[in-house]
Amino acid sequence: MTENTDIPVMLERDGDPKRTNPLAHVFDELVRFCRSRSLFMLHYCTGCGAIELPPAMTSRFDMERLGIQPMVTPRQADILLVTGYVSVKTLKRIILTYEQMSSPKYVVGICSCTVNGGMYWQSYATAKKLDEYLPVDLYIAGCMPRPEAVIEGMKKLMADIKSGKASNWQDYYRNYDYYLGNQQHLFGDNWQTPTDVVGEARNYALAGPGTTGEHTALLEQYQRPLEPITSHFRIGETVEPGDEQGDG
Amino acid sequence: MSKSIVKWLDNIIADVEGVGYQRKSDRRIRMDVASDTLPTLLELLRGRASYVHLSAITCVDWIEDDEFELVYHLWSYENNTLVSAHTRVPRSPGVYLSVYDIYHPAAFFERDIHEMFGLYFEGSPDMERFILTEWDGPPPMRKDFDAEGWVQRKFNFQDYHPEWLKQLEDEGGGVAIRPEEVRAKKRADKP
Repeated sequence: MTENTDIPVMLERDGDPKRTNPLAHVFDELVRFCRSRSLFMLHYCTGCGAIELPPAMTSRFDMERLGIQPMVTPRQADILLVTGYVSVKTLKRIILTYEQMSSPKYVVGICSCTVNGGMYWQSYATAKKLDEYLPVDLYIAGCMPRPEAVIEGMKKLMADIKSGKASNWQDYYRNYDYYLGNQQHLFGDNWQTPTDVVGEARNYALAGPGTTGEHTALLEQYQRPLEPITSHFRIGETVEPGDEQGDG
Repeated sequence: MSKSIVKWLDNIIADVEGVGYQRKSDRRIRMDVASDTLPTLLELLRGRASYVHLSAITCVDWIEDDEFELVYHLWSYENNTLVSAHTRVPRSPGVYLSVYDIYHPAAFFERDIHEMFGLYFEGSPDMERFILTEWDGPPPMRKDFDAEGWVQRKFNFQDYHPEWLKQLEDEGGGVAIRPEEVRAKKRADKP
């Protein structure tokens, strides 16, 4: 097993974070342009809106001509698509998925249910406003939105990324205490994720007055240190004919 | 074989005192029994009459009668009939016997009913949380549970922003054909 100390971790940002290169803004613009043209999306298909995505992605409407492709893992994805109603149990998994994604990341809520609960507005089991728990960049309303609407929304997101307006992922670090408070309201006080969001915020130099607060204090109080998962392999072991009991 | 079972059910079970027997159709039989004789009936149906498949246990909350109604749906692959065994248990204290020893799939149904209605099944292997793992309120499928009040207390709703629609219309989007126009046109087209 690799020791934890073997992994190089940059704890402190060394040097002045202020930029001195006069061409930095030009470079930024180029980066944003490139970013908006190659988006990998992770569609977390929670509800019925997912049914509109296959036609949007395949030959009929072909989202790939805009540079948008489905991605299979959260760690390589840029967009998290939440398609449809979000039950409280699912929301936990969505937050875990979101925190695994690498920045910059964008959240798109598709369907009325992510905006306001939709037709499940009086259900005890579904969360109503997605933007209370995650920083949503864009909502595509409709029940369900047609693939044209999905593509129109994606084009809006691309324009926002290009102009630098879609920066809500920074808001998650800046106001982590607010989001965590809403999450704790649903999941209980001992809610925690394996990601150290406050530490990440400090690393990205995005920590602000809203990053820590009473809710993060509660998080620290209940936080258990992460333990390495031990796996046991049985290779080349032969089972004696006498003791063939258990999981055999 | 199969015909004799049906005849046996029709002639003998129907005459047993305490069993309300109704033949609903060719392939459906309804039986109403008291709650203390239900396990015996299920054992008889499973062991002697080929009703080996418990497809579901459903629960109905009859709040005016202060009772839960439990319906055990049993299917026989030999004579292709469905028996629905109905029974009623009082809402309080809300404890009933598990039929896990007769039908093993009952564990899931009983766990679900315990979660949704708060009816505890004695002898069931696991009565822990099943689907609503984050739930901290009363059992939500009971008739006295006020779902709308719960939602209003627990969740916030999005405010209405008419300026969003205006912004869309300024960009050339919005509603292309208004519904009242469609209705007016339909009315005009009618001879």
